[in-house]
Amino acid sequence: MDDPAGLIEAYFERGWTDGLPVVPPTEKAVAEMLAGAGMRGDEILGEIPGRNTVVVADKVAINAVLAGCRPEYMPVVAAAIRALCHPDFAYHGPASSTGGSAMVLIVNGPIARRIGLNSGNNAFGQGWRPNATIGRAVRLVMMNVMQARPGLLDRAALGNPGKYSFCFAENEDDHPWEPFHVARGLHVDQSAVTLYASNSLYQVYNQLAAEPEPLLRCFADALSNLGLPNVKGFNQALVVLAGEHTEVVRQSGWSRRQFQSFLVEHTRRRVADLKRAARLPGDVTSGDESSWRYLFEKPEDILIVCAGGRAGSWSACLPGWGNKWTKAVTTAIGVIQ
Amino acid sequence: MSAPLFDPTATPVGREVKIAPRPVRLDGLRIGLVENTKFNSATLLLRLADRLGRRHGMTVAQMARKRSPSHEVDDAAIAALRRQCDFVVSGIGD
Repeated sequence: MDDPAGLIEAYFERGWTDGLPVVPPTEKAVAEMLAGAGMRGDEILGEIPGRNTVVVADKVAINAVLAGCRPEYMPVVAAAIRALCHPDFAYHGPASSTGGSAMVLIVNGPIARRIGLNSGNNAFGQGWRPNATIGRAVRLVMMNVMQARPGLLDRAALGNPGKYSFCFAENEDDHPWEPFHVARGLHVDQSAVTLYASNSLYQVYNQLAAEPEPLLRCFADALSNLGLPNVKGFNQALVVLAGEHTEVVRQSGWSRRQFQSFLVEHTRRRVADLKRAARLPGDVTSGDESSWRYLFEKPEDILIVCAGGRAGSWSACLPGWGNKWTKAVTTAIGVIQ
Repeated sequence: MSAPLFDPTATPVGREVKIAPRPVRLDGLRIGLVENTKFNSATLLLRLADRLGRRHGMTVAQMARKRSPSHEVDDAAIAALRRQCDFVVSGIGD
């Protein structure tokens, strides 16, 4: 079959795509993809024991070509797959849940700049090949290698558009603090990808806040709404500070820890509210009006990242999937000489 | 010459799983319950066990609690269930 359109249709017919056309692989393209990460085809990237799944590099490379990746993106894809297989990520839940999580990939370090990952305007949106294709490659691996197909082992009720791809770089240049991967324990010169499961994204607007406190009250409110997935245990959350909000925080001199601690203290709901909304069982008692349910256990459960354009009063809150059953995993990206 | 297709899929690694023998009768069996921490998981399983008890004289011999719905049942719990139970009911979904 030499007709490119016919080849693309052949991949559709076999159920090997995410619904978008794919780039048909060739021997050369797959070999170059593997070389991009310095990997052998038979190298094992990880296992999902509960699924009897072993993830081998050549399958990841094929899916990366299908997704439209360039070979230099492959180290990021491989690191993300290792994170998917990490026990702390507890793959089964976020991959299969009716909640339909996006696999959010946050890339830090020199590789982000080298491959042109967008961390600026429209960081969550369209228009940048590495952002669009790295996340897509990870989702294709989940579908084709880890059996997470919609309606089968992916039971998402609605899913969300981030399930096609959700990958961005942190804006390390305009940061009020150390880069995110450094806060997660890596060296500033290392490259890293953080995998985080989230089934929703709220954009938080505040054009008047000139200090962190009123801004953080908006984040706390967004992270404690009654429709939140988890009100029973403690959560992780991702807060993405953009543009003018980043500047407000930088000028305030607040530390990352202060920011996180404020959110731990203020992200809460009255037990009475949760019971009235049938998010907790039982009748409302008099004590429930003054009893608070806190959503976060400790400051480090709130992950703070900077991205987005310099203009605009928007940031974003992404509640985590599961009551810390699933934890964000940060993986160092191998350096290819 | 036509371009080959590259199969991006992988099948689960083969693992031999023996199906436990099915009970030939229900009366007096020992029930194992595995609750997955979701709301009402324990409530539903215990109610089911109660009904089985009344109908067939079964008893709950072991109740295991998973770390989370995402995690597998741990090995110690599986060993206890194997030792003490004739069959296991696990749940629940959304």
